[in-house]
Amino acid sequence: MAAVHGDVHGHGHDDHHPTGIMRWVTTTNHKDIGTMYLWFSLTMFFTGGFLAMGIRAELFQPGIQILEPELFNSFTTLHGLIMVFGAIMPAFVGFANWQVPMMIGAPDMAFARMNNWSFWLLIPAALLLISSFFVPGGAAAGGWTFYPPLSTQGGLGVDMMLFAVHILGASSIMGSINIITTILNMRAPGMTLMKMPLFVWTWLITAYLLVLAMPVLAGVVTMLITDRHFDTSFFNAAGGGDPVLFQHIFWFFGHPEVYIMILPAFGIVSEIIPTFSRKPLFGYSSMVYATASIAILSCIVWAHHMFTAGMPTVGQLFFMYATMLIAVPTGVKVFNWTATMWRGAMSFETPMLFAIGFIFLFVIGGFSGVICAIVPIDIQVQDTYYVIAHFHYVLVSGALFALFGGAYYWLPKWTGHMYDETLGKLHFWLSMIFFNMAFFVQHFLGLAGMPRRIPDYALQFADFNMISSLGAFGFGLTQLLFVYIVIKCIRSKEPAPEKPWEGATTLEWTHLPTPAPYHSFETPPVVK
Amino acid sequence: MTKDERTTSTVFIQVAKAVIAAFMGIRKQSDLENDAANLKPAQVIIGGLIGAMLFVVSILILVKIIVNLN
Repeated sequence: MAAVHGDVHGHGHDDHHPTGIMRWVTTTNHKDIGTMYLWFSLTMFFTGGFLAMGIRAELFQPGIQILEPELFNSFTTLHGLIMVFGAIMPAFVGFANWQVPMMIGAPDMAFARMNNWSFWLLIPAALLLISSFFVPGGAAAGGWTFYPPLSTQGGLGVDMMLFAVHILGASSIMGSINIITTILNMRAPGMTLMKMPLFVWTWLITAYLLVLAMPVLAGVVTMLITDRHFDTSFFNAAGGGDPVLFQHIFWFFGHPEVYIMILPAFGIVSEIIPTFSRKPLFGYSSMVYATASIAILSCIVWAHHMFTAGMPTVGQLFFMYATMLIAVPTGVKVFNWTATMWRGAMSFETPMLFAIGFIFLFVIGGFSGVICAIVPIDIQVQDTYYVIAHFHYVLVSGALFALFGGAYYWLPKWTGHMYDETLGKLHFWLSMIFFNMAFFVQHFLGLAGMPRRIPDYALQFADFNMISSLGAFGFGLTQLLFVYIVIKCIRSKEPAPEKPWEGATTLEWTHLPTPAPYHSFETPPVVK
Repeated sequence: MTKDERTTSTVFIQVAKAVIAAFMGIRKQSDLENDAANLKPAQVIIGGLIGAMLFVVSILILVKIIVNLN
């Protein structure tokens, strides 16, 4: 990446910061806000994980054992919403807050107060989502995609969910405006666009996707609210509306959203693999172009989520072809990562293990995506566990594994302490084994016809469901190990080396001490 | 041909090449540096939008041809 000159300065005088609770409430510091985003997303990850454990406990055996069907539906709905909007997205924003200013040589984010506001908006949204379980009628139960007519019929829980999604969307829009402005205006002298680390590039493109997609979500949520409370009939066939219109608008947001959750993961992996291969990223320019290409394509494929909703053949073929073509730029990325590792002096510390695990499993998720894109197959597997398996391979072993890899990679920079490498590797291998145990068998369940979002199932699905549940419990417990590793790392007395990764070339490793000082790059570095 | 016209057509070809490369996701480092030096972001964005429209139209034509074959 960018060649940099100059020495690592002593930044002891930059470490002054307020103390106590007000430090966190009123902070405008990108590192504090990044930390809060990361802790928030970890908390929501365990909340959504708790719901997942409930789902898998109920599905451990056929029959209804633990959750009433209505509550089970609320669990699946809130599991999806919390993981997407509460865990994965804020985690990436947390990474952006910590890393983007340090990687481009900026002192902070462009709109520091708006940054604080974007974070604190998440709290009421999370409270609304979680507390909706305790209102009359219970939490929303119509699936995380909240299709009408179910979402126009539910009770107060649905309103709370819709309001929460509105707030989370507003927070995301502010976060993305902040990231775009920071990257375009606050780069250090010499840090041209084409010298930016790939993590920054992927976040720039993701932020544009967010600015494009989130207002569409806000629009469709507003239309649902007016249908529910102000007698409009956007999605009510009895009033002249069209429920399928909701699906089109929702997925016009929802498909770019998929890429919003995976592009920053591509960015993190593109930082980790060159570092531990001790080689520059193969095809940096191709990676930038492929990211842009994926972003553009992501906006013209939304109706592949709706092949069974009723669509002319021409529409089905168009969305099928367009969707399958996304495999081209995605394949370019996978080949570039592989080529980066080719003949590199590789070492396999925990971040690298998660990055390689990411490539391996994300490719499986990508391939099952191409299979789902084929209309005749999709009509068979629509709303089955095959789809569940597909998107968990993309979002758990894709986005989440990249987040874990990134967390291990930058923990020494953030905390000033080294994490326990042995435990980190154990975390990776247990995650790898239990993840595949939980989700690989779901491909078979889906192909055999087991529908999603049901609390009970036919007897022939029993064995694979039990294996899946055991894998899920193991995966859930393994994540407690991650919390232990992080806390142990923070409390460790042993300082981390200034530059624990000899292959790292980005500004935060070459130009800042470890741990990163509270105020960094007050004087911009010179990048050559 | 005046110098301005030559420049316009050169820019057009370079934008077209950059957009096609972006759609495939493959670009040489030297070409990329050349793009970064000679093209303005607005030119690339407009080129990308036109490219996306052409891409949509070309898939639609392909689909129409296939549907009419049967």
